[in-house]
Amino acid sequence: MASAFAAAFEILSFGAIIVLVVLGLGIIASMMGIFNFAQGEFVLLGAYITYLAHARGLPVWAGMAAAPFLVGALGFILEALIIRRFYAAPIVAMLGTYALGLIIRETVRGLIGGLYLSVPEPIGGSIDLGSVHVSAWRFVIIVITALVMVGCYLLLSRTSFGLRIRATLENPALARASGISTAAMYGTTFAFGAALAGLAGALLVPVFSLFADLGIRFLIQGFVAVMVGGVGSFIGPVAGAAVIGTLSAALPWVMAPVVADILVFVLAIVFIKFRPQGLLSGKGV
Amino acid sequence: MSNDHGHLNRRRFLGGFAFTSGAIATGVGSWVLRPEWANAAAAPIKVGIATDLTGPIAYAGNADANVAKMVIKELNDAGGLLGRPLELFIEDTASNESVAVGNVRKLIQRDKVDLVLGGITSSMRNAIKDPIVARGKTLYIYPQLYEGKECTPYLFCTGPTPAQQCDEFIPWLIKNGGKKFALPSANYVWPHTLNVYARKVIEANGGEVVFEEYYPLDQVDFSSTVNRIISNKVDVVFNTVIPPGVGPFFKQLYEAGFLKGGGRLACVYYDENTLNINQANEIEGLASCLDYFKTLTKDDPVSAKIQAAYEKDYPGNFLFAAGSAATGTYRGLKLWAAAVKEANSVEREAVAAALDHAKIAEGPGGPAEMVPGKRHCKMKMYTAVAKGGNYEIVGRSDGLVDPKEC
Repeated sequence: MASAFAAAFEILSFGAIIVLVVLGLGIIASMMGIFNFAQGEFVLLGAYITYLAHARGLPVWAGMAAAPFLVGALGFILEALIIRRFYAAPIVAMLGTYALGLIIRETVRGLIGGLYLSVPEPIGGSIDLGSVHVSAWRFVIIVITALVMVGCYLLLSRTSFGLRIRATLENPALARASGISTAAMYGTTFAFGAALAGLAGALLVPVFSLFADLGIRFLIQGFVAVMVGGVGSFIGPVAGAAVIGTLSAALPWVMAPVVADILVFVLAIVFIKFRPQGLLSGKGV
Repeated sequence: MSNDHGHLNRRRFLGGFAFTSGAIATGVGSWVLRPEWANAAAAPIKVGIATDLTGPIAYAGNADANVAKMVIKELNDAGGLLGRPLELFIEDTASNESVAVGNVRKLIQRDKVDLVLGGITSSMRNAIKDPIVARGKTLYIYPQLYEGKECTPYLFCTGPTPAQQCDEFIPWLIKNGGKKFALPSANYVWPHTLNVYARKVIEANGGEVVFEEYYPLDQVDFSSTVNRIISNKVDVVFNTVIPPGVGPFFKQLYEAGFLKGGGRLACVYYDENTLNINQANEIEGLASCLDYFKTLTKDDPVSAKIQAAYEKDYPGNFLFAAGSAATGTYRGLKLWAAAVKEANSVEREAVAAALDHAKIAEGPGGPAEMVPGKRHCKMKMYTAVAKGGNYEIVGRSDGLVDPKEC
């Protein structure tokens, strides 16, 4: 019983981590039709900013609070300077964002000397429930992920800003005719997606430590999650992330981890073969 | 997009060609350090270093290159070898075997070096050994701790082997941890081969291996492993999971109460670099067994001198640490220098014959000597325990430990 509870918690917490990483990726892919290969590096930058704050003697939570804003601002600038030129050519956009990601990743690698660096949690230690110890910080991540998820959903479905974003996605020409600046909308959406990645990085770095390949580690899983969930809505990628995250964490409990690692991707490919539009394609928000 | 950009006109072609051929001729990622003095009578002796200056383990490769620069400068300042100055050629292996083979060929064919030292991972050694010793007919020194079983002629290993890292360490773990071992491991050659040896030593000393499991190299979630360790009441986690997984793994073990319950972490590649992956309290009591720890400088004047010289020339991120092959590089170059002096030549047969029984009295962690006919190195080994973010030496080998290879 105790062990089953511990297992459920661990699986849920890893699912939450993947959801957190995929949120920004999914918003950019669904709302803008851009597969942003630099998303992993936005996660890395969020982590790096948190580390910098800690290294400069500031409290870790201050770095975590600043990370989404700084990464979001960088996303806004990059959209205006570079990404904007790729909207007509999605394939070129993939290569372009990949190059961008490579530049960010190797720069950070240089800055941290290629090392693995620890960042302490603002809330450390474990919560003891009888004989079971669960990580306090992972619990915080689950809570924050749930809040951010609900927040994003409300923002997109209940606010006029969300309406304008969805209008821009659905029919850019009509949106422009109705007086919505689609260029500004795209810029804001990209910045928002980047900010979510920054937040993900800031929250993850105490769990996984800071290293240059932190972002790329989650990028492949993130894209598989988006494919499984279905592009075109906010809910799709999130659902996909929950499925992929849960599977990746759950399968090693019942089989050899080396097999589980491959099986997740095999299952995803089989699923996409039979349901190419994904779990929830284009339905709802 | 206008079509003009797509056309390859003559000017663009010539420009691109000039740039590319320039880059090929000078070689991207090549460094040459010429001696400060030259001898008109004799050309310099050429030493080649091939190591990972870029890529995921660049922190180790750069430290090794720094050590090589330090040792070569020291030798040159003392008059060189055989009255000739030493010239250092450094090539990047870039953590990529196909790039590495190309760059190593440059050392052999273009620079015609008399020795190649380098390679950090076993896959790198396997990729570059043939271009060096077989086709290149050059001497090769491999400086990193590794899984053993490398018995190629003209290939000398100056890092610790499984026997050196396990024979004294595992009995210590059984005495200071317990009898029940878990062997969580990354799925590649070093953990697989090391575990075979470690299991033998564990069982020979009355211990028991509860489980031995392999994970993908980039796995970062170890909840099921941690659960097995806790529910099986494992005493010692003999870890060969590598970064990036090792940080989250140790953290999850800590959070699950493994250390609180009296468990002991052990990891034979843990040095000063890897200490920073986790917060100090998460790996309190972690035990490692290596040929050198920085804390030895407190009571070993030779180690203190080498460490101080390194830190004076190369302050910063690239530490002089045993796990990144820095000590093996130092030892390798000094043993080779001793062999060249004895052979009175840089010709491969003569140097290999002398290197076969070469000795140095002073090195990081103590003296070292090659075991004749084995091409592996006897050295002192130390067991250390992490306490509050630093190591404390808890065990020293009586003398030089035999590598028991080949």
